[in-house]
Amino acid sequence: MVAIIDYGMGNVASVQKAIRFLKIDCCITSDFSVIEGSTHIILPGVGAFYQGMKNLKERGLIELLSNEVLRKKKKFMGICLGMQLLAEKGFESCESDGLGWVKGEVVRLDPKSKIIPHMGWNNIEVRNDTFFKGIPNNDFYFIHSYHFVPESPDIIAATVNYELEYVASIQHDNIFATQFHPEKSQNSGLAVLKSFLTHA
Amino acid sequence: MLKVRIIPILTFNGFGLVKTKKFSNPRMVGNPVQAAKVYNSRGVDELVFVDIFASRQNRKINLKLVGDVIKECYMPVGIGGGIASISDIKDLLKIGADKVVIKTKALTDVNFIKEAVGFFGSQCITISVDAIKKEGRYMIHNTLGLSIGFDEFIKKMEECEVGEFVLNSVDNDGMMSGFDIELIEYVSENTKIPIIAAGGGGELGHYSDLFTKTSIGAVGSASIFHFTQFTPHDIKMELASKGFPVRI
Repeated sequence: MVAIIDYGMGNVASVQKAIRFLKIDCCITSDFSVIEGSTHIILPGVGAFYQGMKNLKERGLIELLSNEVLRKKKKFMGICLGMQLLAEKGFESCESDGLGWVKGEVVRLDPKSKIIPHMGWNNIEVRNDTFFKGIPNNDFYFIHSYHFVPESPDIIAATVNYELEYVASIQHDNIFATQFHPEKSQNSGLAVLKSFLTHA
Repeated sequence: MLKVRIIPILTFNGFGLVKTKKFSNPRMVGNPVQAAKVYNSRGVDELVFVDIFASRQNRKINLKLVGDVIKECYMPVGIGGGIASISDIKDLLKIGADKVVIKTKALTDVNFIKEAVGFFGSQCITISVDAIKKEGRYMIHNTLGLSIGFDEFIKKMEECEVGEFVLNSVDNDGMMSGFDIELIEYVSENTKIPIIAAGGGGELGHYSDLFTKTSIGAVGSASIFHFTQFTPHDIKMELASKGFPVRI
């Protein structure tokens, strides 16, 4: 069972729809025992960094998720805001602490990227293909105004070019995350989700 | 490189799809769920689905129907029609909408737009900007009898940090004789907000013309898909042949 974390941040229904399409068992939940009993955890989310952390805190999920992911090494995937929250710090709305599971910060897109948000289909450059093998093409759907700057370039799994190069995906141990929305990226997105959820 | 987006805009009257000319004379053009299914199988970049009568008829959008449409879509979907409260937006996000498209409420209540952006984030809030030319000047088209200056409205929405504009040319809507390049260029040069330009596409050359003469990143269309043999894919092939980045 895949646990899609429900913390009041945006469109979790589409993540569930995509995983169900793959015929993989999943549920939208914030229930501690369901999360503890899950095989994979997906943290989706759209919206502001500050609000995302606040909502996780209010639901008592920070400690629980940290225990599952960092101590028990459960397979974890963050999507969009769910990737950004992994950072130590974010600056959206105001400066606030993130989960801190991955060293780095989340800052606004560079003004050189003229139109903000970065919205639409863009092709990624894969650096670590663990979960990108066999994707039909490299175009994924992005929609974000902030981006993840990891301390170590080694964990970057893919990048995307939007006037400048930004991080599109990270992978470190059992933690995988994408800035783009696989659940909105049709066949390529479904392939990435499937790859993550069925990877041995 | 970011691809230019070709977005079918499906307008409906609460139950069936309709297509207007100059925002009038709605003509029935089919079943929304069936259309969504076809566009999904064709892999379109995004879909916009708007109940163009909800505000006028003072009713809420049909959530059951919209839910059935969204179920068919594995790409981003924007939904509009009669959105007037935070809970309206929540209802749409809950059934899988990614963005909401707001028009009427944006004309009468800027604070609501500000509140919605604060609550759901910029990326979620798309504003429909309906331009109509009156005595040589662009005004904001509306059925409320309000006189709203074009620049003033755009500026207000920018200050609210909305995520996107759907820029409609009322005069070119449904006419299939080309886009209002002057309007689109004017807005794209004066805002940093992404724009979906709509109104006037009728043949493939109109699309390469649009992307050659303006710097926008997305186009919305309906008539060309309802009334000609051309598909979004045909438009992309045309654009690709002219060197524009598209997702095929």
